[in-house]
Amino acid sequence: MSRVRGRRVWQGLRYAFCAVMLILILLPLAWTVFLSLRNNVDLMRQAPLSLFGPYTLGNYGELLKNRTLFRWFFNSMVVSGFSVLGVLALSSLAGYAFGRLRFPFRNWLYAFVLMGLAIPDQSVILTRHHIFSTLHWHNTYLALILPGLSAPLGVFLMTETFRAIPKGMEDAARLDRASPFMIFWKVLLPQTIPAQASLGIYTFLLSWNDYWWPLISATRPDMFTLTEGMAAAQTNYAEVTGMGVLMAEAVLAGLPVLIIYIAFQKHIVSAITGMVKL
Amino acid sequence: MAIMARKGEARGWGNLLFALPFLSVYVWLLVYPLLAGIRLSLYRANLFGGEHFIAFENYIRLFRDRTFIQALGNSILFVGLTVPLLVALALGLALSLNRATRFAAFMRSVVFASSVLSVTVLTIIWRQVLVPDGGLLSHFSHMIGQAPVAFLNDQRLVLPSLAVITVWWSLGLPMILFLSALQQVPRSVYEAAALDRATPWSVFRRITLPAVMPAVILVAAYECALQFQVFGQPQLLTQGGPNGASRPLVLYIYETGFNHWDIGYAAAASQMLFALILVALLVPQAARWLPAFLKGRRA
Amino acid sequence: MKRWLFLLALLTLASCEKPDTRPTITVQRIFGDCRAHVPKGRPATANPNGECEIITGLLDRFEAENPDIRLKIITVAWPGYDQLSAQFAADDAPDLVTMHMAVIPDYKSHHLLMPMSEDLKEQGITPDQFTPVARRAVSMDGDIYGLPFDSWTQLFHINMNLFAKAGLVKDGKPILPRNAGELLVQARQFRERTGKPYFVQSMVNERAAYARNLYTYLLAQDEVIFPDPNHIRLNTPRAREIVGLFKRIYDENMTTRDQDYGTATAAFVNGQGGVYIVGTWMIGAFDAEAATPGRPLYKGYTVVPYPVLFGDRPAAFVDGHAWVMPVKRRTPEQTQAVMRLLKFLSVHEADWTRSGHLSSMKAVITDPAYQAQPHRRDLMAITSYGQGLPIDVQRQFAIQDMLSEELAAAITGAKPVDQALHDAETRINDMLTNLS
Repeated sequence: MSRVRGRRVWQGLRYAFCAVMLILILLPLAWTVFLSLRNNVDLMRQAPLSLFGPYTLGNYGELLKNRTLFRWFFNSMVVSGFSVLGVLALSSLAGYAFGRLRFPFRNWLYAFVLMGLAIPDQSVILTRHHIFSTLHWHNTYLALILPGLSAPLGVFLMTETFRAIPKGMEDAARLDRASPFMIFWKVLLPQTIPAQASLGIYTFLLSWNDYWWPLISATRPDMFTLTEGMAAAQTNYAEVTGMGVLMAEAVLAGLPVLIIYIAFQKHIVSAITGMVKL
Repeated sequence: MAIMARKGEARGWGNLLFALPFLSVYVWLLVYPLLAGIRLSLYRANLFGGEHFIAFENYIRLFRDRTFIQALGNSILFVGLTVPLLVALALGLALSLNRATRFAAFMRSVVFASSVLSVTVLTIIWRQVLVPDGGLLSHFSHMIGQAPVAFLNDQRLVLPSLAVITVWWSLGLPMILFLSALQQVPRSVYEAAALDRATPWSVFRRITLPAVMPAVILVAAYECALQFQVFGQPQLLTQGGPNGASRPLVLYIYETGFNHWDIGYAAAASQMLFALILVALLVPQAARWLPAFLKGRRA
Repeated sequence: MKRWLFLLALLTLASCEKPDTRPTITVQRIFGDCRAHVPKGRPATANPNGECEIITGLLDRFEAENPDIRLKIITVAWPGYDQLSAQFAADDAPDLVTMHMAVIPDYKSHHLLMPMSEDLKEQGITPDQFTPVARRAVSMDGDIYGLPFDSWTQLFHINMNLFAKAGLVKDGKPILPRNAGELLVQARQFRERTGKPYFVQSMVNERAAYARNLYTYLLAQDEVIFPDPNHIRLNTPRAREIVGLFKRIYDENMTTRDQDYGTATAAFVNGQGGVYIVGTWMIGAFDAEAATPGRPLYKGYTVVPYPVLFGDRPAAFVDGHAWVMPVKRRTPEQTQAVMRLLKFLSVHEADWTRSGHLSSMKAVITDPAYQAQPHRRDLMAITSYGQGLPIDVQRQFAIQDMLSEELAAAITGAKPVDQALHDAETRINDMLTNLS
């Protein structure tokens, strides 16, 4: 096969592949929006829906009247926001210690932390539930935030990041007799911003998406996270609310994160790209 | 002053303070619960209190339990269906979209957008695609005059359906990781290959693939560990049915713990999950060390 | 750093509520969320006789009539026991919660429920006011552990318009089979003449209906399902016969397939089948459909107990809802508030039965006003011959889940019938013998 034709074949395949993937990804999303704009009564009829059929904004109207969706969104924002802050803080401090400082048993402790990477949430969730039950801390933001702070991935990431900073960076500061904390805060931390961003985004998504833990810890509807609340809505819908409203709920739940993503796209992608350089 | 500073540095206990906040939370909420969970798995215990020691009876009971074996098989099958497909498609997308056109940028956004949805929104969307009464696919079936397929209610189709949904959802992050790996290859290498009149296939094999292989292994290992922990999709869409065909390990653990109140037994099952993930994570490590080890060199 | 702390403080403050000195009690219930069309303090704008609409209205009314008590109402998805278990484990249970009577023995035996007979007596409620079926279900160890709210059972809901088309109506009453053979004949006839399946069934993600169908016909033949509290016996000739019939119905396309509860309900309402096997709670909703011109059920709805297909006498598997009080520390004001709510609910039980549920109070059952409601007279006998499951067997809902899963496999042909019954037995016995 001639080289030019070979390349054309590749190009053609590429376009076809992209087109197919684009349709496959967009179709379910478009379908959801479509259903959210239809009348509940129409949807109950179980007859094929026409593209030209009557559209309505009533489902959205019903949702916006009901405060709980906003409460759930607020809860998710609080929990995810503080999770990110907590993980960044703890992981940066620990990463600095393991990556830049010396102290007894440092390597043993680091290995001890790395072993935790393999532990799945499900192996620890029952005892965690018991711990928070004893403290009567369920149905609080603390209970939703704290478990996420124990994940070792952030420490691993930050340790490697700190290690990768050239040795010479601190010399000037040390000559000025700066304390280890000042070196951390003023000199080294700013060098790690890309890694911080990646870790922050990853932690945010993980926390936003957490399902099983909020399910058993936040049992009062006003403490539900958005993810958990949507699950409750799903199982409840069969009883009364109606399919159209459920679809509208899904759109409203997905939209904010989508908007945030679109707004910060470039930063997100470059941050994750930076993460791979490790 | 200088002498004191040197002394403090040599001992360095003060430096440990930086790691202490994390270590405290780590031990309290990850290490201790793991050990407590292992201990719990040696007891017959009830969710509401009351336990007595039965050593390894829970584990023996697990291996005689058809439902557990089925769940174990389902988890392995699910990972086997999801991860290769995910890696292949993400790699394909990364290769196709590794250019600076506006369309590529738009497409990358679309792919990542599906990943930022939460699992509950995901299941709401996909139920309305797959369900035979009024679902999107059933509309297509009617258009071509076929009876709609009940994907989520067919023993053979349910797990592949969940795998497809999961792949659809998870493409974003792997794709971007592959893109970064690809972008690390300098243009000059490709230009040199073009000068040498290399075919697209040998460019792929000699330049592209080696560049992206570490990322592929990383993603594969990470996704294996992640997909062994699948929970939301089966719990919300199928509740493990039909006939347990879509019940993965985590759903089994959840039901045993919160439905049957049998937490000692559930703890034992979750230790099995832990072992499974450990194996999944160690295999690529071993694969990396083994050739070097066999050649008599230390890694 | 200071800014973060300030923000944190602000947020924690934001999540606190204004101080309210009224006793607050948390009431947790199932039955769905319909606040959207039941404005607070006003009648429902749709489906006024639905479970959700009635209970929402009742609780609103209690709040209006008792402004000195504050209710925190939590609606959980059916059946609500995953959350309740998590709440009990977290020592954070609600003050009052709806509970199926079959499940009361479980929570009671773990000392999680408060006995109520003393407090109820103060409010003027005594056990002899309950129907025999209800009384049996809530009485344990000489005390009452729940206030009965209703009894319910599964029924044959019939689309009389389609039945008429199929030639299965005589003197305004539906013709029902008297044994399994007749059922198959009539179902075929129905299909021939209407082109639709005889049955509408919820079969997907269905964890209750299958077990209930089996229990009904086993109890009708006096079969012992639980020979002792730690064992179930399922792989018997009679069980195989019953499951075999349902399997045949499925195989010969005499039922809708691949529908979950919501879809099946909609299908029946849209006239997609003749008989919908579902419970008493839909009577109110279906009656409303039957009163709406232009709808498939218009002037064509009736409901009857399960026909006698096996054995020689009618039987019904009966359960019910009750209000139970989790064990927790309450102030005397809170306990009083709970009792007042219980009294209110008991007094308005007749209102609740507009949904179609059978009453659990003798006074209501014998009230002509109650009996005058559509269909109630046909169903009244169930309150005397209905049977529940033995109260010394625990984990009834877990049993129901596992049994329904295996039965679904048998009926849809995924497993042979005796294999499924055997597997169900093994799984359930494994759980029951390992209880702690």
